Amino acid sequence: MYHLVTGFYQMLTKRDEYNILILGLDDAGKSTFLETAKTKFTKGYKGMNLKSITSTVGLNIGQIDFSGLTFNFWDLGGQKELQSLWDKYYDESHGVIYVIDSNDRERMSESKELFDKMIKNEFLTGVPLLILANKQDIIDCMGVREIKPVFQQHGHLIGRRDCLTIPTSGLTGEGVDEAINWLKDAVKRNSILRPPKIKS
Amino acid sequence: MGGLISYFRGLLGSREMRILILGLDGAGKTTILYRLQVGEVVTTIPTIGFNVEQVTYKNLKFQVWDLGGQTSIRPYWRCYYSNTDAIIYVVDSADKDRVGISKDELLYMLREEELSTAVLLVLANKQDIEGCLSVAEVHQALGLDALKNRTFQIFKTSATKGEGLDDAMNWLSNVLQSKK
Repeated sequence: MYHLVTGFYQMLTKRDEYNILILGLDDAGKSTFLETAKTKFTKGYKGMNLKSITSTVGLNIGQIDFSGLTFNFWDLGGQKELQSLWDKYYDESHGVIYVIDSNDRERMSESKELFDKMIKNEFLTGVPLLILANKQDIIDCMGVREIKPVFQQHGHLIGRRDCLTIPTSGLTGEGVDEAINWLKDAVKRNSILRPPKIKS
Repeated sequence: MGGLISYFRGLLGSREMRILILGLDGAGKTTILYRLQVGEVVTTIPTIGFNVEQVTYKNLKFQVWDLGGQTSIRPYWRCYYSNTDAIIYVVDSADKDRVGISKDELLYMLREEELSTAVLLVLANKQDIEGCLSVAEVHQALGLDALKNRTFQIFKTSATKGEGLDDAMNWLSNVLQSKK
């Protein structure tokens, strides 16, 4: 009887927990995106002043609860010397968000090389991938139409995983809802290969 | 119960943030504390016991505890853990021999239940010394990639020259403000 009751209770209260990794070059807007997502999906959360966000050397974590599941975000530093630390997080991630500064034409190829290196990693095989053409609030920036071909040159590396490129702006919040909701569906679809952690 | 009390205290008015400065002996904890408080380099002697000062940074009041770092007194750190909002962990970046000990102490400390919600700020101190470890090297040496459920940030600092501390405190006050 006891087990029946506790089992029932756990069934009602348990939540699937997914780990989402946020990657990209430094100053692409990863931490800002995370703050905006947290603000949008957490009732009563004030959020940090977006302008006061500085470059990350370490890890920002964020958690949002929505649609009956939990997303744990890991936002890592994007500077050159910190990129070597990314792969420590790969095998525990259920989804990856790759953020691109759409206004930084000079570093687009650098970002692309980094992207290729990341998706080649065997620990990320099959993991859903969301590419954000960020900073769309800047007038002269590159649009998705321009960015998408660059990052899909090596389409075979992306393979059969779910992959979507969408325009966003972490500052204005454009595209953030869409991004999170798409990722929710994608990690759920992939949960046979990467089952979520169960949080009770 | 403690959560309930702190909730009501939060309603009554802003609470002073409680910060611990920890790290091995000779890492520069006391120098950092006084650098933050008076903005100057003071001559320090090894701390036996603790120094506690009130530091105001951007309208946020911090109560900063600087605990002695010698082997014999490290076990007493845990007496100060309750209600801690943030930990400033100071590493001597030039002391490559003892960075492993520093890692062990850090991991040991972070296992404490009382610190589970505390924000971690690592200062890779003594960056003015040539040949010291870089930020990424300190990150790796401390095994910080094993931390997956805590917000943390590393800054390179030189307490004697006053470099990097502003950035670090800036970040800390931002994070603590949004946590409040």
